[in-house]
Amino acid sequence: MNAPFEDEVERLYEQLEREAGEGGYYLNPDREVTRALVEGLVTNRRRYGYVACPCRRAAGGRQQDLDIICPCDYRDADLNDYGACY
Amino acid sequence: MEHVTGSVDRGKVVLYALSTCVWCRKTRQLLEQLGVAYEYEYVDLAAPDRADEIDRTVAKLMGRASYPTLLTPRGNIQGYRPEEIKALLNV
Repeated sequence: MNAPFEDEVERLYEQLEREAGEGGYYLNPDREVTRALVEGLVTNRRRYGYVACPCRRAAGGRQQDLDIICPCDYRDADLNDYGACY
Repeated sequence: MEHVTGSVDRGKVVLYALSTCVWCRKTRQLLEQLGVAYEYEYVDLAAPDRADEIDRTVAKLMGRASYPTLLTPRGNIQGYRPEEIKALLNV
């Protein structure tokens, strides 16, 4: 893993933690899982230009993927069903 | 399709996954920790036609195309469900 990627992951992790807190949510306290999820978001931001959910297949166009851009339309349903977003 | 060797042969075990997904990664780690031989394919890295084909296959079998999806001779599991996976593979 290269240093710029790691730095980007760290910055996004901090941003998400801040934004989640402001919205009354909190990130998964299992930092290993959360960090891997943020790595997926960074990979997708580099790949598509936006933070498509790393656990859903992106179509590759922002308009088509609006529903899966983090925080995605399915977050609350996933939280209810699984206790975590997915 | 990538092949992963293992000492535990449970027939044709196929994992459809996303290379970016932490739950897919954990499913692969579990299979490898259990020593199960399996094949996997990353849907997000496949050619669009192939990815569409996998989506259709998974949706038909499971009701919706989501990943990880594990197909085994004894049944299929969607999502990272370690205890169910172990039970299904009898390991």
